[in-house]
Amino acid sequence: MQDTAPLSQADLERTRAFIQAVRDRVGTVVVGQDVVVERLLIALFTGGHILLQGVPGLAKTLLVSVLARSIDLEFARIQFTIDLLPADILGSEILDQRTSEFRIRKGPVFTNLLLADEINRAAPKVQGALLEAMQERKVTIGNETFKLPAPFLVIATQNPIEQAGTFELPEAQLDRFMLVHRLVYPKPEEEREVLMRNAALGIEKTEKGAIARTEFDALAREPVGSTKELVDAMEAVHRVHVSETFVEHVVDLVNRSRVHPAVELGCSPRAGISLIKSARARALMHGRRYAIPEDLFALAEDVMIHRMRLKYEAIAEGVTNRMVLDELLSALGSGAERAPKAVATHA
Amino acid sequence: MGLAAFVLALALAQAPLVETTVGMPGRLQEVLLPGTELVVAPARSDDPLVLRIVATYPHGDANRYELEFWALEAGDYDLREHLRRADGSPLAADELPALPVKVGAVLADPRARPHAPAPTTAQRLGGYTNLMIAAGVLWVVGLVWLLWSGRKRRGAGEKHEERPRTLAERLRPLVERARDGQLTSTERAQLELSLVAYWRRKLGLLDEKPEVALARLREHSEAGPLLSSLERWLHEPAPSEAVDVAALLAPYRNLPADLLDERVGAAAR
Repeated sequence: MQDTAPLSQADLERTRAFIQAVRDRVGTVVVGQDVVVERLLIALFTGGHILLQGVPGLAKTLLVSVLARSIDLEFARIQFTIDLLPADILGSEILDQRTSEFRIRKGPVFTNLLLADEINRAAPKVQGALLEAMQERKVTIGNETFKLPAPFLVIATQNPIEQAGTFELPEAQLDRFMLVHRLVYPKPEEEREVLMRNAALGIEKTEKGAIARTEFDALAREPVGSTKELVDAMEAVHRVHVSETFVEHVVDLVNRSRVHPAVELGCSPRAGISLIKSARARALMHGRRYAIPEDLFALAEDVMIHRMRLKYEAIAEGVTNRMVLDELLSALGSGAERAPKAVATHA
Repeated sequence: MGLAAFVLALALAQAPLVETTVGMPGRLQEVLLPGTELVVAPARSDDPLVLRIVATYPHGDANRYELEFWALEAGDYDLREHLRRADGSPLAADELPALPVKVGAVLADPRARPHAPAPTTAQRLGGYTNLMIAAGVLWVVGLVWLLWSGRKRRGAGEKHEERPRTLAERLRPLVERARDGQLTSTERAQLELSLVAYWRRKLGLLDEKPEVALARLREHSEAGPLLSSLERWLHEPAPSEAVDVAALLAPYRNLPADLLDERVGAAAR
């Protein structure tokens, strides 16, 4: 499947050790959320972008902050609002009054990890500017084009409630996100641990007073992994073997999404590419040198749900994307006959 | 009396020959004709000339007339032939003076003549009512035939419709081809998922999400090793341990077709 040499056991163990160190560091600050951490690392290792959907207060920002500090990455956060302009993200030319010349002021997009908080609150023009930067990994300001730092990962968040005054990302732009992960509330035992840890944070004294400490204050400054180790991990992901059989599973699943009666627009080939990329990363994180169907089943929701558009009739009948995906996975996992090949049509 | 006859003779002698063309009216005015009042004789259908008396004025014992005529064919005519006494008394041939008119043709010969009437066909047998009854009967017969043939075809279709193959039936040829080392990548994928499905049904895990079911299968004493071997065989680039495919698939060679029916899974649950 790939030209590169297969991943050796030694490389696998080394990469796993790095990943475990990062997970442990994240675990010191964020309780639970193992799956989210896994998805973030998958996005980081594969160079994809991730959209987190969840209500406020699920430690999204804290998670991204601690991840950035764990691997010695630059981190920036942008709170998207209706009055945000593309220049606020990308940067702009400003007139230096001392030299009477224009100089470039780079925007917060020039970072390794960019948290785009509540991306659906900004106008489509701003969303488009960010998504273009995500796709091309370079930004043009004035007459100059700048490459974005590597690695570059956008972690966007979207609040599923309070939809008034928001601009929903269309399918074509959602397709730029390799993964869309839906956050859930922590389990009761995890939530108990969150509360206990928070109660133990105490206060931080200053010269003239004191302020209550937050989880952000508890973030350790020293990274547990270097950028080089991250690059090695990214390389290791590319050496994870993908068999022809696995590709057949992916093709079958993606094709089933195109011929499902409730689906108007099925998954694009980019969905298949994302499935294979993310399955490789997951296999590595689970100590395997090859991807297996379990990776496919585990990642299908995050990769495929946002790439399917249902028919109006199906929506009216209360069918959801998740229901359709469950049906597709059940059919695939129960050994049902392969679906007929979808035919592209032009309207 | 003698004077009146003279004047009459003079008037008739001086009447000019009226000429006209086919279809155009010709008029004779102040025509003095002896005897009682005259009217136009009933016309025949094939008369080439139509005469009309526009006005009649008494003139002593005689009458003065204004005559108008149309001719449908060119020729010389005598209007006298188209008159008769109003009181029904006979009109002798020489009782009236000649009233000659000339009708000329505008079109040069040979003129276009209408076709001779075509011979008519015999009237439809039975008439319109019988025709409608026959059409109605035909329609009903056609409808019955359509319904009958449609039912027959659907019945035949149902008879020939293949029942979906059971999982065991799908699995069997794949296992055989795998033992012979002839599986394509598509068939390998089908074989893997079919075996997973077999164990999901056998352990009643069909309602679980696939990834959960796979995790449970891994913990099973029989399914777990099978899954691991299968994954090593199908996905690992250079398996650390050789996989004996024939031995691995031997239990699945001759599964009864109905073994993996949905009922098996239901019973296991």
